[in-house]
Amino acid sequence: MATDNTQPGQDAAIVFEPKQSRSAPVASVGVIGWLRENLFYSWFSTIVTVVVAWGMFEGAAYLYDWGVTKAVFEAESRRQCLNTSPDGACWAGIIDWMNGFMYGRYPDEEQWRINLGGVLLIAWVLPFWLPNLKGKIGIGMSAVMVYPFLAAYLFLGGERGVFLNLMVFLAITLLVLNWVHVVLFYLTGRTLTENLVRMTGFEHRPETTHKYPMLALVAVVWGCVYAWLGDWQLELVRTNLWGGLFLTIVIAGVAIVSALPGGVALALARRSTMPVIRVFAITFIELFRSVPLITVLFMAVTMMPLFLPEDFQLNKLVQVMIGVCLFAAAYMAEVVRGGLQAIPNGQYEAAKAMGLSYWKMMNLVILPQALKLMIPNIVGNFMGLLKDTTLVSIIGLYDMLNMLKAVGQNPIWIGLHKEPLVFGAAIYFVLCFAMSKYSQRLERTIGQGNTGR
Amino acid sequence: MSATDTVPMAPEGQIASAITDEEVIRLINVNKWYGEFHVLKDVNLSVRRGERIVICGPSGSGKSTLIRCINRLEQHQEGEIIVNGTTLDSNVKNIEAIRSDVGMVFQSFNLFPHLTVLENCTLAPMWVRKRPLDEAADVAMKYLERVRIPEQAHKYPGQLSGGQQQRVAIARSLCMNPNIMLFDEPTSALDPEMISEVLDVMVELAASGMTMLVVTHEMAFARKVADRVIFMDQGEIVEENAPDEFFANPRVDRSRLFLSQILAH
Repeated sequence: MATDNTQPGQDAAIVFEPKQSRSAPVASVGVIGWLRENLFYSWFSTIVTVVVAWGMFEGAAYLYDWGVTKAVFEAESRRQCLNTSPDGACWAGIIDWMNGFMYGRYPDEEQWRINLGGVLLIAWVLPFWLPNLKGKIGIGMSAVMVYPFLAAYLFLGGERGVFLNLMVFLAITLLVLNWVHVVLFYLTGRTLTENLVRMTGFEHRPETTHKYPMLALVAVVWGCVYAWLGDWQLELVRTNLWGGLFLTIVIAGVAIVSALPGGVALALARRSTMPVIRVFAITFIELFRSVPLITVLFMAVTMMPLFLPEDFQLNKLVQVMIGVCLFAAAYMAEVVRGGLQAIPNGQYEAAKAMGLSYWKMMNLVILPQALKLMIPNIVGNFMGLLKDTTLVSIIGLYDMLNMLKAVGQNPIWIGLHKEPLVFGAAIYFVLCFAMSKYSQRLERTIGQGNTGR
Repeated sequence: MSATDTVPMAPEGQIASAITDEEVIRLINVNKWYGEFHVLKDVNLSVRRGERIVICGPSGSGKSTLIRCINRLEQHQEGEIIVNGTTLDSNVKNIEAIRSDVGMVFQSFNLFPHLTVLENCTLAPMWVRKRPLDEAADVAMKYLERVRIPEQAHKYPGQLSGGQQQRVAIARSLCMNPNIMLFDEPTSALDPEMISEVLDVMVELAASGMTMLVVTHEMAFARKVADRVIFMDQGEIVEENAPDEFFANPRVDRSRLFLSQILAH
């Protein structure tokens, strides 16, 4: 307003002209500025910088020397390794045992089944990362509810009962239909159900009947798959042969998938106003949280059979899974409860005041907000679970840790302890780091536009 | 009076009343305690369709608790509350039905921060009234236009000012097509320059014949739209009076003191 001199009776005001911005001094910005600020701020920090840099360089040089330049990659036995290069790593043993680390004692000629299970899982969850796709909830539900049966049969094999017959072919059916849905959606812009409703002329009927064409299609495709693959049978591979990274991922995967719904249920139960439910939830959570996982595992393997009918034999792996799942759910419950408590009371009141029922309020208003807040803790929990599964090696399952330790007891590779553990650490690091990075990405994408918090 | 005179005054005087004989809310000897604290004492109240009631009183007098009992966000221990002909008891289905017909606007807006403005407005119509998405969205846009922020429909609540958020909250309640609206200090959390935009909307709503119970300290608003002013203190209804009478010539000494305190500066 300083330039405005239209008012009568006033002299021309002084004209304000902003100064040009100059660039900042070289020593305070960019690489040089950063170095000065963080590494060479005073003579003391300069000394610390130099010492730490020297230490890091020496350490890295030693590791590089041990792990790469002096390492042996091809040898018949540990003796040969030592003869070739006594101070280097003997990666030859790791390479020789790689199959064992990955699959345990699973028969070589059947290992394709594990790989196929992995590929199918990827095919199942791939649509999640496709942009703008509708019906992701259905795909997710089928992945959690039906895929495990298909995977279980692939891994285990043997006779299929009526139930497993139903589920395995249902899984194949749904996988096919999921992808039909994806392709149709990108071609027509409508979901599979909507397309079916149009084609069958159900669009003029009430909306509650719109699910029938879809159900009919599932039944027809299931029939076709059954006719095609009905006689298909895989050789039985008992679970005591399962092992390695495969077993680790199976146990951790089952625990992770069941932990979240279990945790949500327990957390809601703990906040319930119904005393019986609340007391049960508190007892369960506090019991499992106060007991070490290894105790839970021993209980699951040795005590649980005592409570079951005599001729009812549970598989050791199943017992372990039940134990890990209960343990994981108890921990997850407290994470979820923490997230629920972070939601202001006004959100509950606003949802209730609109007439939403308890479950709709939870599913539509409270949990979507709470879960977003919980992502870092949830993923932290998952990483803990993945690493905790190494404890099953103590009760005699050949998970990855047990296979890594077994190398050094093998006559050919006797005494080879360091390298397998380094290798195992690297595998766990890659898995956990990937989870951590993915959770950070998830936090950003879910938080988009949600700037109010 | 100038401090509370924030309603931009269109023609002076009352908005035409649309009261009918039909009784929509009735409270009979309602008592409520928070622990040992007796917060509502023998409250009796009858509200007819189309009536606009302003409830005022010092803080802690139980006025918010009273209107929160009407949609059972708070539970009363003694007495009877009848809303739209249904008695409030522990029957969850009845409570949900009543809540869907009774809109409520809060002091702190309580919009859902993870949903856009439009999604905030369509959520309850879709999930409680089972309206299809496009129909719910049409209705929502109609009410967002009525509160004069249709252009913000695709923003998130966190991107709006307080006054805009409160207007969205009003639109969100109206989308359920309620026959009663409860306002719990709707302007108390707002900056002074945003109060009038919210009160404007509420005045319009009053003019449309909506049954309204408003807890507020905006006395100019009360004077303009209220059919009845209720003054509460210490859990009791101290005075019930027509607004002109209440402001010019309060019957009870306690209301006189209250008015002199809030209108003094």
